[in-house]
Amino acid sequence: MKKTASTPIPRRTVLGAAVVAAGLALSACGGGGAAQSGSGGNVELNFVFWGDANRAKMTEAALRIFEKKNPGITVKTEYQDSGPYADKLATRFAGGNPPDVLAMANRSLLEYAQRGTLADLKSFPELNLDKVPETTLSRGEVDGKLYGLATGVTTIGMVVNKTITDQAGVTIPDDKTWSWEDYARFATEVTQKTGGKVYGAGYDVATETGPIILARQRGEDFYTKDNKLGVSEKTIEDWFQYSVDLRKAGGYPPAGFFEQIGGSPAQSYLAKGTVASQIIPINNFRGYNEAVEGEVVLLRIPGETTGERRGYSADPTMLWSIAAKSKHPKEAAKLVDFLTNDTEGAAEVLTQRGVPINPEVADAITPKLSADDKTFVDMMAAIQEDELPAAYVYPKGASVVADTLKQLTTEVEFGRVSPADAAKTFMEKSNAAINK
Amino acid sequence: MSVLTKQPPGASAPAPTTDGKPRIRPSRRKKQRSGYLFLLPWFLGMLFTVIPFFASLYLAFTDYNLFTEPNFVGLANFQAMFEDPRLLQSLKVTFIYTFVSVPISLAVALLVALVLNRGLQGLSIYRSVYYLPSLLGGSVAIVMLWRYIFGNDGIVNGFLGLFGIQGPAWVTDPQFSLSTLIVLNVWTFGSPMVIFLAGLRQVPGMYYEAASIDGASKWRQFRSITLPLISPIIFFNLIMQLIGSFQTFTQGYVMSGGTGGPADSTLFYNLYLYQKGFTEFEMGYASAMAWLLLMIIAIFTAINFIASKFWVFYDN
Repeated sequence: MKKTASTPIPRRTVLGAAVVAAGLALSACGGGGAAQSGSGGNVELNFVFWGDANRAKMTEAALRIFEKKNPGITVKTEYQDSGPYADKLATRFAGGNPPDVLAMANRSLLEYAQRGTLADLKSFPELNLDKVPETTLSRGEVDGKLYGLATGVTTIGMVVNKTITDQAGVTIPDDKTWSWEDYARFATEVTQKTGGKVYGAGYDVATETGPIILARQRGEDFYTKDNKLGVSEKTIEDWFQYSVDLRKAGGYPPAGFFEQIGGSPAQSYLAKGTVASQIIPINNFRGYNEAVEGEVVLLRIPGETTGERRGYSADPTMLWSIAAKSKHPKEAAKLVDFLTNDTEGAAEVLTQRGVPINPEVADAITPKLSADDKTFVDMMAAIQEDELPAAYVYPKGASVVADTLKQLTTEVEFGRVSPADAAKTFMEKSNAAINK
Repeated sequence: MSVLTKQPPGASAPAPTTDGKPRIRPSRRKKQRSGYLFLLPWFLGMLFTVIPFFASLYLAFTDYNLFTEPNFVGLANFQAMFEDPRLLQSLKVTFIYTFVSVPISLAVALLVALVLNRGLQGLSIYRSVYYLPSLLGGSVAIVMLWRYIFGNDGIVNGFLGLFGIQGPAWVTDPQFSLSTLIVLNVWTFGSPMVIFLAGLRQVPGMYYEAASIDGASKWRQFRSITLPLISPIIFFNLIMQLIGSFQTFTQGYVMSGGTGGPADSTLFYNLYLYQKGFTEFEMGYASAMAWLLLMIIAIFTAINFIASKFWVFYDN
């Protein structure tokens, strides 16, 4: 071979590299191996949930009590933020290596249950459900089988930074009777009187709990008893239109303002002081009041007395489930029983995951609550004093519905799609996902 | 590989065995064995690629949902792809990303390589500095950092603010989110640059000497000497960058928190594939998508190989 100028990379090498590089993508899509967890005499339960370090700490404290009461069982926990948690959970189930006990989101329950991956909790004598109200049980039931048991109940509420509104000289309307129009007027006034430094409203348009409550106030069930989509196109359109109008009036921040939604209270825009109000799951009220400089007040969602009926319902904060493939189902059921019925354990986690569903447990921990947690529990009780319309389990496909809402919210936010068209698309995509 | 074929001088004629056949000398066999031994990790590693590779080929023709046994559904997954608007959107995003960022990053890489090749002092430092981003670019931390740099209160908008310009929402506005990621990809021009640099170093200086004696301008030298001689390198980089960017995942995933948002504007093909497989549990469909991507990449690579006949110059 005569060497003039060398050819550094011959054709064949390029082709070979190309084949290898392209092939790698395919192998990313194969099955994974299942790992066996050894248990020598002792049973080790794998228990996973989502949340922050604080929640994990409280949970661990309760688990130590469980281990003391149940010699021979140790509990190994793992936790992440909700996003990565959902991804990891799916992969573990897919790999045939599911955790024994797990926290499940309302919107994912039937995705898992209807694929046969979760155990029927009613089949375990170890788990005592006598004290749990039927309305709560129904939120984890399908076809008479209980796949998820509420970790506690909560609902959504409006938190307002009263320090900001006081300084701006804006009066917070009476939340027992306020309408959505009242809230819009209030939010717009806050923006005006703070000179645009603080936006009056900062609620998340893209989370389904908002339109769910609006639908209920209008006499519709967002998700119906027979696991279908029950919300009307008009309600979805109005939900979008409301945010568009509020933004136009100045009460809601401009498009693109929210970069990260759904983080911890400390990362919230309420804590940053750039918005004066936000919708939160009210079991997190304490976290927000601690994260925000100044006084935060907890209010009811607008429109509760001005609509056709009450929108509120006591919803599972999340659900406990047991994997159908758990190698230690009895011990897993014991753990769920402990998490549901044990007062000492509950005294450690308090209302982290909502008001305990066993009323005796709830009563027992009430004296131990901090003022903020007490506010949450009191509001939860006050809401349930009135008769609330029934609410149902989220159907299979609910996570696609949630993603669709998120996507369309952005389209509407940037004016790329009208609220009416977005609502139409929402109905099409959601129905397709649920009826599949 | 030359170890296995080269023989010491004098040993070229194998000693004849009793049955008259040449015998492989023990030392040679030993060498072969150790050769294969060294290759063993690679073979084992290949199993983890080859098995899933064929598994996904099979699953592409099933309705596998991760939890129950897969059922054979023929071409249904491939048919469904044609009616899937999000799949089209993900192709659109991936194509725009690839066809904008690959040429720009190659041009930048070549330009920087040319500058560095002029014999700067402290070359190795510059080389490392420019190479570093490409090691980090695909990492989660850098994409997070990018979010902050281009965030509403980030450095970029702060800088624009100095001139009284109200910068857009680079990350959350669907109009800009993909371009932000393209800029990130261009910034990671380091690895093609290092390869360009190696190629430039191999262009014999005598060509330039001869050319300058003939009075050729620098530009002319670049066009007539440098470009043809490094064209195989350009070709290599082009193919690798093309394939790499068709398979982009991390940037889109981290930037949008896994959604491909805002409004599917960063829904890369592989991100959508991931969503289908791992959040919607349609692993059969996801496998079919993986094979479609392979076909797309194969087609583009083939086009490039055919086209290369007209512009890649092999000087041997």
